[in-house]
Amino acid sequence: MNHVLTIQTKNQPVVLERLLQVTRYRGFEVAGMEMKPLADFSGLLVTLSIVSDKPISLLTNQLNKLYDIEYLDCVESEQTQAKAGSMRA
Amino acid sequence: MNGAELVIKLLEMRGVEHIFGYPGGAIMPIYDALYQSKVKHYLCRHEQGGAFSAIGYARSSGKVGVCMATSGPGATNLITSLADALLDSVPLVAITGQVSQAVMGTDAFQEVDVLGLSLAVTKHSFMVKDVTELEHTLNEAFELAMSGRPGPVLVDIPKDVQLAEVQFKPRLVEDTETSQPEFLPAAALEQARLLIQNAKRPIAYIGGGVHMADAVAELHGFLAQSQMPSVTTLKAMGTVPPSNPYYLGMLGMHGTQAANLAVQQCDLLICLGARFDDRVTGKLAAFAPDAKVIHIDIDPAELHKLRRAECAMIGDLRQLLPAMSVPTHCQDWLKHCVSMKQQHGWRYDHPGERIFAPLMLKQLSERMPDNAVVCCDVGQHQMWVAQHMSFSHPRNHLSSGGLGTMGFGLPAAIGAQLARPKDTVLAVSGDGSFMMNVQELGTIKRFRLPVKIVIVDNQRLGMVKQWQELFFNERYSETDLSDNPDFVSLAAAFAIPGHSISRKDEVLPALEAMFTWPGPYLLHVRIDETDNVWPLVPPGAANQDMLTEKAQ
Ligand SMILES: Cc1ncc(C[n+]2csc(CCOP(=O)(O)OP(=O)(O)O)c2C)c(N)n1
Ligand SMILES: [Mg+2]
Repeated sequence: MNHVLTIQTKNQPVVLERLLQVTRYRGFEVAGMEMKPLADFSGLLVTLSIVSDKPISLLTNQLNKLYDIEYLDCVESEQTQAKAGSMRA
Repeated sequence: MNGAELVIKLLEMRGVEHIFGYPGGAIMPIYDALYQSKVKHYLCRHEQGGAFSAIGYARSSGKVGVCMATSGPGATNLITSLADALLDSVPLVAITGQVSQAVMGTDAFQEVDVLGLSLAVTKHSFMVKDVTELEHTLNEAFELAMSGRPGPVLVDIPKDVQLAEVQFKPRLVEDTETSQPEFLPAAALEQARLLIQNAKRPIAYIGGGVHMADAVAELHGFLAQSQMPSVTTLKAMGTVPPSNPYYLGMLGMHGTQAANLAVQQCDLLICLGARFDDRVTGKLAAFAPDAKVIHIDIDPAELHKLRRAECAMIGDLRQLLPAMSVPTHCQDWLKHCVSMKQQHGWRYDHPGERIFAPLMLKQLSERMPDNAVVCCDVGQHQMWVAQHMSFSHPRNHLSSGGLGTMGFGLPAAIGAQLARPKDTVLAVSGDGSFMMNVQELGTIKRFRLPVKIVIVDNQRLGMVKQWQELFFNERYSETDLSDNPDFVSLAAAFAIPGHSISRKDEVLPALEAMFTWPGPYLLHVRIDETDNVWPLVPPGAANQDMLTEKAQ
């Protein structure tokens, strides 16, 4: 299953490393990533596309615990699914 | 005042009395501020030891442990202990000095990316870049270490921040959140009560989360009301009084047969502050195969992580346990569990003159003063302690559970002794583990800490040797320690008296001598290298398939 996580973080330089470290350690693959500062530079807006057969809650529950993460939203994505599918084909 | 002085001031204001650490270049301003401060610093002889002492302090007292180290090698020496605290959910604040920001990122002398290193071994970590953030960050670190599921928090402070001038106006400690009564999950609780009432074979699987939530009394109330059997994890030993007739002991790889069999047979598993660790479950797919699961934890990420729960609740066990206390109707099951407990009781009728560690530890347990703290190391002796010693509270049994870190016991005992100066503190170690932080004998000597050290010496890395014997065709690769130093002479070099024994009839007089000696003491107990820990669930097997000594 493929998911897109939309994550708003505090303005901490280490926050991207934290996100990626947890994602890798918990066994999820990043298929895409976008990042931009919030308009007032108070934090970052990160979009992670995740590919995994495991329930995504195993990742989102861990990410939600991160102190630097303010907000996390997760949607299942047809699009990445199609993309990943075509990549594999 | 400067940043370093502020650090110490904040520790004082938080009521931190004891900290453990080791100085060096990048943390010198903080050590300077410490000089003649109210905070008492205990110089360890290796940062890993210092941090384990902070863990022992925290685990034996329920307070936050604090340790400090310099940049580079000082900080890297903390890593193992941070990982230990993470896996056992121990509230710990580690303060590290860092090189000045002017040279940061240039591979400066003793510069290591400590923040980067900390990611995998802390609950959270901070780097303080401006002295004006110091107060908030340090306070936040303490809050975080204690809140929710406790854990280690690291604060890395560059030297220029330590030296920067800062205005400090002592504020009244702000109560950020006035604790609101927690919203109780009514529907889940109702479901839990129904599951409990309808269960024919319920069992409580109790983890370290219960005592960490300060819910031991509530648990006792729950067990009294519901009258169900219980088992505990290594970390939760002491949560259920050993006198409880339906308490079956520790479950898992070296758990009791009664505990493992009962869990395998149960139809309702009530998991309280535990996390289905693989050393507990054995083959996960075959763990408690007929059971519905109620799982309660403070950490949402533990729910459904390894085992789906029919009823999962996040929250405070102090409130949830009383709300779930309903009577059960399972007399036959209770009888069955009690009879399994009797049938599979421990045997101590070991033949011959040589010391049988399980019996020696049982005798130690019976003779140690009430409320003694036992700090264990890792290996066979650790499992024997869990099996054959009794504890009245989980704060009295400190054992490295999640990380299984050799070298834990001796420094943890130092921390426990400082946290609980009136209680007897024992370090039960193996001949391998003891040598991993043996330098901390220097700390015991310096502070004349009356820690009683018992070394269970099989001249082997016994636990590894046991696996080699059972699963690697008796190919004993690198597990012989028969050339270890003479431990009694070693202790003597640190002005610690000791005694060595190897026969059963020497045990009781030796324990007597150790307990009547007022200061630190080392008892060296020689045992046979062939003694193994039983029962044992082989790797990959289901928990009912335990190997026992007789079966060998
Ligand atoms: C730091 C560390 N290194 C290696 C291990 C692997 N290990 C687990 S038990 C053990 C043997 C411990 O020997 P000893 O302390 O003498 O205890 P015994 O099993 O003989 O009672 C080893 C090497 C470990 N747990 N921790
Ligand atoms: Mg040994």
